[in-house]
Amino acid sequence: MEKLSYYAFVAAVIAMGLACLLYLAHALSGLRMSRMQTAGLPVRTGTFGLVAGPRPAAPGRYGSILGWLGFAFLTAWLVFRTLATGHGPFANMHEFAVAFAWGILGAYYYVERAYGQRVLGLLVLPLATGLMLYAATLPSAIEPLVPALQNNLLLTVHVAVAIVAYGSFSIAFGAAMLFLIQPAGSRWGLPEPALLDEIGHKAVVIGFPFLTAVIVLGAIWAEVAWGSYWSWDPKESASLVTWLIYAAYLHARVVRDWAGRRAAVLLLVGFAATLLTYFGNYFFGGLHSYAGLG
Amino acid sequence: MTHEAQSGRLSGLPANPSLTETRSTWRLDARGPVAPLWNLLTSMRSAMVVMLAMAILGLVGTLVIQVPPGIAADPAAKADWLAGVRPRYGAWTDVLDRLQLFSVFGSIWFRGLVALLASGLIACMIRRAPRLWHLATQPRVTVGDGFFAHARQHDEIVVRGDAADLTTRVVGVFGRRRHRVLVEDDGAVNFYADRFRWAPFGSLIGHLGIVVILAGAIVGSVLGFRDNTFMIAEGSTAAVPSGEGLSIKLVSFEDAYYADTGAPADYASDLVLYQDGAEVLRHTARVNDPLRYGDFSFYQSFYGAAALISVTDANAAVLYSDGVSLAWATAEDDRRLGTFTIRSEDMAVWIVGTFGGDDPLVKPGQVRVETYRAGTGDPIDQKTIDQGLATEVSGLTFTFGRELQFTGLSVSRDPGAIFVWIGSLLLIGGFTIGFLFPHRRVWGRLVLRSEGVGTLSVAIAGRPGRSVDRSFADLVTDLGAATAGITAT
Repeated sequence: MEKLSYYAFVAAVIAMGLACLLYLAHALSGLRMSRMQTAGLPVRTGTFGLVAGPRPAAPGRYGSILGWLGFAFLTAWLVFRTLATGHGPFANMHEFAVAFAWGILGAYYYVERAYGQRVLGLLVLPLATGLMLYAATLPSAIEPLVPALQNNLLLTVHVAVAIVAYGSFSIAFGAAMLFLIQPAGSRWGLPEPALLDEIGHKAVVIGFPFLTAVIVLGAIWAEVAWGSYWSWDPKESASLVTWLIYAAYLHARVVRDWAGRRAAVLLLVGFAATLLTYFGNYFFGGLHSYAGLG
Repeated sequence: MTHEAQSGRLSGLPANPSLTETRSTWRLDARGPVAPLWNLLTSMRSAMVVMLAMAILGLVGTLVIQVPPGIAADPAAKADWLAGVRPRYGAWTDVLDRLQLFSVFGSIWFRGLVALLASGLIACMIRRAPRLWHLATQPRVTVGDGFFAHARQHDEIVVRGDAADLTTRVVGVFGRRRHRVLVEDDGAVNFYADRFRWAPFGSLIGHLGIVVILAGAIVGSVLGFRDNTFMIAEGSTAAVPSGEGLSIKLVSFEDAYYADTGAPADYASDLVLYQDGAEVLRHTARVNDPLRYGDFSFYQSFYGAAALISVTDANAAVLYSDGVSLAWATAEDDRRLGTFTIRSEDMAVWIVGTFGGDDPLVKPGQVRVETYRAGTGDPIDQKTIDQGLATEVSGLTFTFGRELQFTGLSVSRDPGAIFVWIGSLLLIGGFTIGFLFPHRRVWGRLVLRSEGVGTLSVAIAGRPGRSVDRSFADLVTDLGAATAGITAT
């Protein structure tokens, strides 16, 4: 099983790497299209720029197919690794990095199906691929759990829920980036800001309850294993900071001079906090430090 | 509040002008001198600012090393600790300390922000609950023509037929879409249809959850009890601190390690719990499996070496015979040590263990006994004694029976925890419902002219999102088909 999971890992890296290139080609074709537009050549655009020709469809479509394939391999990795370890494969940074990449791809393809905006993939796919390459540098051996982690149910659920939240926030990050580089819209063949704002908000609306659940499940586990539901462990504090930033975003979006650009900035800050929470094991110390490089 | 989007108070949204009048009637507004304060407290902007300020402070608390709990209260220990972090923070050490940034989460800043957050939350709920209730139970059915003209999403359908028949058809379309429909006739037929009208309360409940969690945390810190240093040596029985007649015996402690990696595999304390001397429970406490009894919980927290020591006086009367937990360490050479008191002799005894084979003072198989006057702390005598060999120290006979282990438990009784869990459920459940089922509201107005031809205007309030957009377009198509008309736009 461990061997199978390794093959799935390698296959996923290859598929995702190729998908990155194809998404780049797709974005460049959008750029070309928008040049033709400014040159006054005939171009069709629908609501929010959803239907846009004469952008060649092929690179984007193949990019999606390869990305889906990568997602399928990662799902296989999850299954094999779960069978090999007996719990969700989230016990060390290697496993958590791959699972994070899985969460990003899952959230991305949900959004791609719902909104058809492949340009987002240009930002999101390299992020997931980067995490995979990072995971490849970490020790991947399956080791038995230290006493604090010996809770298969909470280990699996706590981290699985975190992956959904982190995946959603990655999408919100991508949408906010595309929003901020062209707040007035209609640049470089990118999606309209209103749609990007909508995608970012949808992603947070999904991710935020999941992040809340991560923290609550973490508190339940802390109560069982450490004897206190909250001890201001650095990772706990960092997750609370992340939660507060996204909560502020949800409010900012309906405050007059914060809606739009500043709200999008909060999404970037929120994602930075997400990454800080995620990588925190390396430099925080504290109770979560067992999950480091080992 | 997350559903502010539909309340129109904050004007980042396209407000529907004809509805503002009813809105202000149904909001709990303060008048007079407190009005500005009330408005500030309940504004979304202040909520956002407070949360961002908490986030910034929290970030400081994440990145700056925090004083471990227990040390902050003890000035000497605090000074030691500050000296320890001085190389890292240099001249900033005193500034950070003065600003309470080494204990951010107990600082006046953080407490102040939490208090602001809590009062803002409560004020918002008080302010908005009546309006949500009114919106759900007595929505405004008839809106002016201006609303249809200015709503961000609106459409007009040309219809043919008589009013009663068309009304039935329109109601039917909304019914199939699981909308509640209200109809008013003022010459024209006015429709109001909505779905998920109770869902905005989900968001309200989510906010309530935060207040309940904070209340639980306060109850826990005021009424709760916690001792992170409850130690029992193997074979010993210790009274539970503030445990009203509870005592615990450690039968044995096991620490196991994985053979290939040497990583810890298991810490297990075989515990027997007594209530007033009678056994009530036996449980092996592990890291993920605490012993629970009533509202007390005992968590496996740490462990270490212990020594079985017995003390007799000149008449061979036993003054002390128990395991001594060597839970402390000497600062200079990391020897383990533990202590006990013999009250009848006014004597405090420290037992010092070895740090290994190359320890010149205490060899393996030995402990050092140091005796002091319990009242004054004046030293009496010190002697290293061999295992199994009764040795006289300061007029008493000490015997080091054998090496044991001790277990360190965290004892806690937290009557606030239940509120924290209930609040957490409200928080997750409330927001999930609030986000998953946005309150959808549609207004319609059917105006018929004499020749049996008329228009049905349809509009929705709120922000145009793509998903809303799609469902609105579908709705217009359905209404058009049902009324056999043609869409005007």
